[in-house]
Amino acid sequence: MATSLGSNTYNRQNWEDSDFPILCQTCLGENPYIRMTKEKYGKECKICARPFTVFRWCPGVRMRFKKTEVCQTCSKMKNVCQTCLLDLEYGLPIQVRDTGMSIKDDLLRSDVNKEYYTQNMERKIQNSDSTRPVGMLGKAQNPSDMLLKLARTTPYYKRNRPHICSFWVKGECKRGEECPYRHEKPTDPDDPLADQNIKDRYYGINDPVADKLLKRSSSMPRLDPPEDKSITTLYIGGLGENLTDSELRNHFYQYGEIRTITLVQRQQCAFIQFATRQGAELAAEKTFNKLIINGRRLAVKWGRSQAAKGTDVKDGFDEMGTGLEPVPGLPTTLPPPPALEEEAPANYFNLDPSSSPALMNISLPPPPGLSNPLPPGFGAPMFHPMGPPPPPPMALRPPGHIHYPSQDPQRMGAHAAIRHSE
Amino acid sequence: MPKVKRSRKPPPDGWELIEPTLDELDQKMREELYEYCTREGYADKNLIAKWKKQGYENLCCLRCIQTRDTNFGTNCICRVPKGKLEVGRIIECTHCGCRGCSG
Repeated sequence: MATSLGSNTYNRQNWEDSDFPILCQTCLGENPYIRMTKEKYGKECKICARPFTVFRWCPGVRMRFKKTEVCQTCSKMKNVCQTCLLDLEYGLPIQVRDTGMSIKDDLLRSDVNKEYYTQNMERKIQNSDSTRPVGMLGKAQNPSDMLLKLARTTPYYKRNRPHICSFWVKGECKRGEECPYRHEKPTDPDDPLADQNIKDRYYGINDPVADKLLKRSSSMPRLDPPEDKSITTLYIGGLGENLTDSELRNHFYQYGEIRTITLVQRQQCAFIQFATRQGAELAAEKTFNKLIINGRRLAVKWGRSQAAKGTDVKDGFDEMGTGLEPVPGLPTTLPPPPALEEEAPANYFNLDPSSSPALMNISLPPPPGLSNPLPPGFGAPMFHPMGPPPPPPMALRPPGHIHYPSQDPQRMGAHAAIRHSE
Repeated sequence: MPKVKRSRKPPPDGWELIEPTLDELDQKMREELYEYCTREGYADKNLIAKWKKQGYENLCCLRCIQTRDTNFGTNCICRVPKGKLEVGRIIECTHCGCRGCSG
C-alpha cells in the first residue's frame, strides 16, 4: 500500500488523480447547472482502498450532497458510475448486467492480490483509449434484449434523497423543521433489500436488488416453442387494416424460407408457415413482443398443427393467389406415408408398382390394389407423380424469374429494424 | 428604545437583574460615549459599519458574508432573501444559527 503520495511508486499502487468524474445522469440530478467541488486524494476508494480525487455536488433541491465513492480505475473496470455503481448504459446492477451479457469477471479480491490487479488495470487503462471499458467487458459487445427490457426509462431521483434521521426515529430530533434528514419511517430491517454491501454489489455476488430484478425478468412473458415438432406456423395478430401480405413477407423472409402466408383480413390476423422448424423458431424469438410494423405491435403466437388447421394450399401459392414461382429444381414435398389400415408391408417409397424398381435394392412383388394408396380425405394437390423424377439440370434461371423477395432488384435487403450499432 | 413592552408574555428569568442597566444605557448614551465604547471593543465596529450599508441592515454576523469561508465563494444561506428561497423550509445557518438576515 502506498503510504504517501511521494513514496516509492515503481511497483506500487499509485494514488489516483483525475479531472472529471464518471457519473450517471441520475446521480447528477435534474438541474443542468451544477457546482461541484474537487478534492484531490479526498477519500479512499471503497473497493481498492487507494486515495483518489473526490468530486462532490448537490443533485437538486432537498437532495443530499453526493460524492464519488469509488476511484476511476475501479469504475472503468466495470463500466459503472462512480457513485451509485450502476451500469452506465443500462443503469442496472453489475450482477444483472453480467448475467445478461454472460460475462464472468474474476476480479481478485483479497488485499495484495487486489492491489496488484488494480495497479495492472490502471496501467492498461492508461495505455488504451478511455472510451471503451477495459477487461472482460470490452470483449462482449452484443446489446442484450433482456437488459434493455429491465432498464429504467426515466431517472429515479429517489436515490438522491437524504438519509433517514436516526434521531427522529428514536423520537429525539431536536432540530425539528430545519433538520435536513428525512423524518419518515425507516425501511423494514427484515426486508432483504435492507442489507446491501458496496463490495458485494461491485463484485456482483449476493446482491439482493440484482436477485429481485433477475427474478422479475425470468417471469416476463415468453413464447415457448410448442412440443409438436412439426408445427412451423406462426399466428400473427393485430395487423390493422392496411397490412398486406407483401409487407409480412418482406419482414419474415429473413428468418427462413416462408412456405405460405395466409391473411385473414376480417380478423386482422395472418398465419405464416415456414419451410423449416428452425426458421419458425427464429422468427418467433425475434418477433415475439418486439415486432412493430406500421406503428403497431404484432401479437405473435404459435399456430396449430397441420392436420388441425385443415387448410389446403399448394406449394408456393397462398390463398390470395399472389405467389412467387417455386424455385425450379428443388425436391418437392413428399407425400405422407399411407395410413396403417392399408399398409402393404414394403411399399414405403410409394412407387408405381409397374415402374422400374431400378433404384430399389429390394424388388418386391407389386401387391394388387395398391396402385393408389391414398388415405381417404387427403388433398389431391399434395400428391405428386409416382416415382422420383430425375432432377432437371440446374440451368441458369431465366432473368426476371423471382423466387425470393431478395432477388427482386427493386428491393434490397430485409426491412426489419437493425438493432446493433455496429 | 421606548419602554413599552410589546409582547404580553412575562419576560424570562434574569430580566429583573438587567432591566435597570438597560434602561440606564438608554438614558445615558451620548455620542461621545458611543464612540468610546466602539473604540474599546464593547461594540463590534465592523459589524456596525456593515449595518450602515444598504441591504445589510439586519446582518447577523460577519462570518456569513465572508466569501472565503465557503466552497464556491458565495455568501451564507442566511443571506438569501426568503422570497428567493422558495423552499418554504426553515434554514438555520451553520455559523450562527441565523434564519435569514436579509429580505
